[in-house]
Amino acid sequence: MRGSKVWFPVVSVLLVLTIVTAACATPTPQVIKETVVVTKEVEKVVTREVQKVITREVEKVVTKEVEKVVTKEVEKPRTEVRLSGWTASPEEENLLRALLYECSLQNPDILVKYEPIPSDYWAKIKTMVGSGTEPDIYYMDIFQFPFFATQGVLRPIDDLMAAEGVSRDEFLDTLINAFTWEGQTYGIPKDFNTLALFYNKDLFDQAGVAYPTNDWTWDDLKAAAQQITEATGVAGFSVPPDPGRFPIFVFQNGGQIMNEDFTDTLLDAPEAVEAGEFYTGARAEGWAIIPQDVGVGWQGEAFGKGDVAMVLEGGWMVPYLSNQFPDRNYGAVHPPAGPKGEGNLVFTVAYVVSKNSQNPEAAFKTIACLTSEESQTKVLTSGFALPSRKALQDHEYLQNNPVSNAIFTGAEFATPFMWGLKGETVNQAMAQALERVYLEGVSVADSFKQAAEEIRAALQE
Amino acid sequence: MTYTWRRKLADWMTAYLFIFPVLLGWGIFVVVALVMSLYFSFTSFNLLKPPEWIGPVNYLRVLRHSDFLRYAVPNTLKYSAVVVPVQTVLSLIFAFALDQKIRFRDFFRTAFYLPSVTSSVVIGIIFVWLFSPKGVINQLLGLDVNWLYNVQTALPTIMLVNIWSTTGTMMLIFLAGLQDIPSELYEAASIDGANRMQMLRYITIPMLRPVIFFVVTLGIIGTFQVFDQIYIMTKGGPLKATTTIVYLIYFWAFGDVTPDMGRASAAAFILALAIFAVTMVQRRFLEREEG
Repeated sequence: MRGSKVWFPVVSVLLVLTIVTAACATPTPQVIKETVVVTKEVEKVVTREVQKVITREVEKVVTKEVEKVVTKEVEKPRTEVRLSGWTASPEEENLLRALLYECSLQNPDILVKYEPIPSDYWAKIKTMVGSGTEPDIYYMDIFQFPFFATQGVLRPIDDLMAAEGVSRDEFLDTLINAFTWEGQTYGIPKDFNTLALFYNKDLFDQAGVAYPTNDWTWDDLKAAAQQITEATGVAGFSVPPDPGRFPIFVFQNGGQIMNEDFTDTLLDAPEAVEAGEFYTGARAEGWAIIPQDVGVGWQGEAFGKGDVAMVLEGGWMVPYLSNQFPDRNYGAVHPPAGPKGEGNLVFTVAYVVSKNSQNPEAAFKTIACLTSEESQTKVLTSGFALPSRKALQDHEYLQNNPVSNAIFTGAEFATPFMWGLKGETVNQAMAQALERVYLEGVSVADSFKQAAEEIRAALQE
Repeated sequence: MTYTWRRKLADWMTAYLFIFPVLLGWGIFVVVALVMSLYFSFTSFNLLKPPEWIGPVNYLRVLRHSDFLRYAVPNTLKYSAVVVPVQTVLSLIFAFALDQKIRFRDFFRTAFYLPSVTSSVVIGIIFVWLFSPKGVINQLLGLDVNWLYNVQTALPTIMLVNIWSTTGTMMLIFLAGLQDIPSELYEAASIDGANRMQMLRYITIPMLRPVIFFVVTLGIIGTFQVFDQIYIMTKGGPLKATTTIVYLIYFWAFGDVTPDMGRASAAAFILALAIFAVTMVQRRFLEREEG
């Protein structure tokens, strides 16, 4: 008696299992009935009423039943890869979502789970990597890249590139080289920015000064800024204590911020100090301001408000100005050249693959699709960012948008915005070196010496 | 015998069952976190590689670091030395005033308390606008000071914001304390012919002593840990004029390209010990006065 009671549920479970597995077995062709529209006639019915002629169209649909043989496809399990990045703006997020949709059509066997990180991206992603829960693909800023590369948490992608037929030569050299470490490629640059000299056309017209060109030098910048300041009362130029702006003057003067292997700083070398004297001198001589002088935290805002005639900023200015200051009449050219030629900074972000990724092939396929020429064309024409592919350098969008073109071609003379493993300490030391000059009147040489010492102390820890 | 033992056990079980959910949360997010960071403070740990034991090196590094000694500690002490007395006295005055039967009392109570329930981020952003060079404050005073971008005024401005936003909470605590004082004491005093000032000096203040201790302790802990308004308003600048201990901890932990969790944890423990020590000294001081 007891035995039968135990057996009953076991048997029934087995029975159900058999039925379920049978249902899941290989697909059999099925004959289904479908109603198909064969013809569609439109008949015009003309009716005459008392004073009007009314024309009515009547649709006559003729249908027929047909038999179709359909093989029901078994759904293949899709490979899941996770993708994370920060969200600069809702528009940019939507653009990425649109690209991901296109890629899901191209790679139907890959399911990309997009998990944006809205704030504190680096704290979050570093914690995730530390606990082994990071996504397969994530955004990597060049500024942070050395840390991730030296810790061995990224997957080298040269083999995956070869398998997908993606070549390093397809990308701008400055960008792909930036994401290369010890001879291996770690990321596909998705876009980039450089600095350009944005100028307010109205203020130039008002002062009767010719617009800047790509061939300008420091002397031209100074002369024009002085004329504008005198003629209009609005400062000609802006020299913020910003480690993302000042370094290009050091490059243009033949100097560097850090040495080759980022083990020492060159901020107290004569090239850097001279550049600092020219930069901070601009404010002392009265032809330039810092944004705080006109009550804003960022010179882009001062430029939008018309409180300064020229600023060195990047491509993010284009959507910002068209949203906030749509009436601003402006242009942009390469930053002026210094005594030792041209110099610029390049800000770039890449897609990288986590070393822990279970599906590196699927992850790279997704990256390849997101950075394909087709996707990059969409990025370019959306106006948010500049594409990393050489093939797009002659694209008509760049020819029609001289501002974007100036930023794109600026990459040629640009150094990546990256100062090694203690990059933020370097940034702060640099910013404070300039602030000491502006706020406390310390000499550039002394201030830069102090900054260099602070950086060296941090590097030796 | 066995019956009572069982009964006791059952009582215990019930009690622990009830406090289990809280105990679990507290255990994970406080005890485990505390023990982990104590461990990290003796290691070299950058989040990505497993921690590596290095002994008390981090503590020595913190105590020798020029940012810690020259900026973070003096700034934090200055901040605390101004904010704690001012907010305590102000909130005590407000509490006295609003303990009287005055018109619109409830309105004032709500108005003074309102800043305390507002997000510190929102307060920070509003005060950045108010204190901007072309902001309301400068226009009212007819000045042209860049309050938050001036080494002399940046920290006092943040002190002001903090006093403004926490005085309400302290006032509320004092109000509760004032209402706890039995009215018989005042009646007895008035029969003895005491005036209002005497009642304040000999009844209200002594009766409020535990509340004052509580408010001052809360104030010291809060000011030693000041972070959010600085993060929003000045990011520790200009020239580290507003870099406080917790801001420095944040920078070491998450600010740089390479996180230094070991040093950040060590600094956090040094801060915790400092708060503990100050609170103990303050308690001794107040107890002795009582005795």
